Amino acid sequence: MWLWFSKLGSPKWFYELSGRWLPWLIGAMVIFMTVGLVWGLLFLPPDYQQGFTSRILIVHVAVAGTSLAFFPLMFVAGTITLVWRMKLADMVAKNAAILGAWFSFVTLATGSLWGSVMWGTWWEWTDSRLVSMLFQLFLLLGVISLRSALEDSEAAAKACALLSIVGCINVVIIKYSVEWWNTLHQVSSPVSLDNDSPNGPEFWIATLIMIIAVYLFLSVSLILSTRNEILERERRSQWVQDLALKS
Amino acid sequence: MLDAIQFSSFAEFIDMGGYGFNVWSVYALFAVFIAINLIMPLRKKEKIIRQLKRRALIDAEIQNEDSTEQ
Repeated sequence: MWLWFSKLGSPKWFYELSGRWLPWLIGAMVIFMTVGLVWGLLFLPPDYQQGFTSRILIVHVAVAGTSLAFFPLMFVAGTITLVWRMKLADMVAKNAAILGAWFSFVTLATGSLWGSVMWGTWWEWTDSRLVSMLFQLFLLLGVISLRSALEDSEAAAKACALLSIVGCINVVIIKYSVEWWNTLHQVSSPVSLDNDSPNGPEFWIATLIMIIAVYLFLSVSLILSTRNEILERERRSQWVQDLALKS
Repeated sequence: MLDAIQFSSFAEFIDMGGYGFNVWSVYALFAVFIAINLIMPLRKKEKIIRQLKRRALIDAEIQNEDSTEQ
């Protein structure tokens, strides 16, 4: 177990393993993305209240749901960095913050584009779901700037791990905000097996496919940027030099 | 299966029941978001490899010069 763990932490080992996984992950991502987008854009029936704006929701829900994974991921990575001194975990945490900020931004923008026609407003400061998601974006931007200010020092890893605790609490607030404070943002529709219900199989299966597609995209993008980070940090080691000369 | 397509013409598909601007903006943003976060790391990798290669070649040249001088 310990041997496996220290092996997993070795950047070289991760680089080689992820290189073998990437083609499969990319293939699966392309398949799920294509099925999700074609289904979403062409086949999804209009909602009886929302019309075709329900097409916005399958993208919005997939990206928003996935955006909640970043702070828990960064918290776990931060803990591993601080407790077991694993460089790889720190590299993952660093790149996750950047990708997470993108996810949060796209969540807010797609939500706005839906709200502008269905709620009649682009933004509402009194809504807890909207404001807590905006807070997540700012928190991630804070983590990113903190890292660039503190370089690769241990202080950066500590500060970011601390901020990710706040981020995790905020994730819980985002998740339950619609139930705790009943303002503008609707609660998620219960999954139903009845095709006539607002969230029948036609809708939630399309959403589920998009969620899987978006998670695959998250993994691919995060692995790609982590591999770059490995090459940069290990550029003096023999295996990276060999790899550069071979390619 | 093609019967299940919700639109009878391309114009209808673009119009999205009157919500064309919002629906297509969301899908365009989503496409840009995906593309940027896949293309940027791939281009960065090429750049890193290029730099590493150049550095290695320079190092090799310096070593060659050193050995010829001796």
